[in-house]
Amino acid sequence: MNVQFKKGVLELCVLVLLDKRDRYGYELVQKISDQIEISEGSVYPLLRRLTKEEYFTTYLQESTEGPSRKYYKLTDKGRDYLHQLIADWNEFSRGVNQLIKEGGNDE
Amino acid sequence: MMNKQQFLRELDSSLEAISSAERCEILQDYEEYFSIGLEEGKTEEAIASSLGSPRQIGKELAASYQVEKAKTSATAGNIMRAVWAVIGLGFFNLVIVLGPLAGLIGVLAGGWAAGSAFVASPLLVLVNAVINMGTFEWFDLFLSIALCGTGLFILIGMFFVTKAILKGFLRYLKWNASLVKGGLQHD
Repeated sequence: MNVQFKKGVLELCVLVLLDKRDRYGYELVQKISDQIEISEGSVYPLLRRLTKEEYFTTYLQESTEGPSRKYYKLTDKGRDYLHQLIADWNEFSRGVNQLIKEGGNDE
Repeated sequence: MMNKQQFLRELDSSLEAISSAERCEILQDYEEYFSIGLEEGKTEEAIASSLGSPRQIGKELAASYQVEKAKTSATAGNIMRAVWAVIGLGFFNLVIVLGPLAGLIGVLAGGWAAGSAFVASPLLVLVNAVINMGTFEWFDLFLSIALCGTGLFILIGMFFVTKAILKGFLRYLKWNASLVKGGLQHD
């Protein structure tokens, strides 16, 4: 899929995954790359940017196996942004689907 | 094929522009990523290759860092550093960043030059009167004083226009850095 297109969608994916519960970086990357082919390294720059925008806060938590992990938590501001992104996405995909459907028919 | 140490070293060296505290945090994130991957039985090489090019990741981080810095202190130096960092993300950016920048600089330079010339016009009339004796007309002086007033308004306006344009342009840079390119492809 187109690189620029995917990058915009990646933001939505990260926010959606954090809506239900807090997650650490590795977990987020794996969840997304299970569904979409991404260059996994580019998720961290995105996480940093969204943290600076105050959409997330972070905290460290010990894990039973190995070193402590950095968890990302969605803020209220982040949740508002997520809802707006979802609305945008739905409108966008409805429009594209409509065009695909009409594409086959000559008017 | 890169191992963990090579990956981190190359990433570190492409983050030179970033403050050392922030650099440290970034490297920690990737170290954490490696250590969890290793626990799951992956090899360092496999993890490094799935992460993609450390150089591209570094460019992306540097670009958003510079844009953020230019937003908090909008000095000419910071803005130019941000522009170069965003341009560094890819050739496409060369066109869509440098084009609007050149246009905006033209508009701003024009506005400031016109305002300053208007403000200076009474002085120019007097200078002219001194150099070419006998050509002095009261009408010229009154007209130039009126121009001077208009010029003051233009300069005040330009002050706000410049501020607004800078802010807008930085937002554009930021949006641009977040949307265009970035290391999403495997390379």
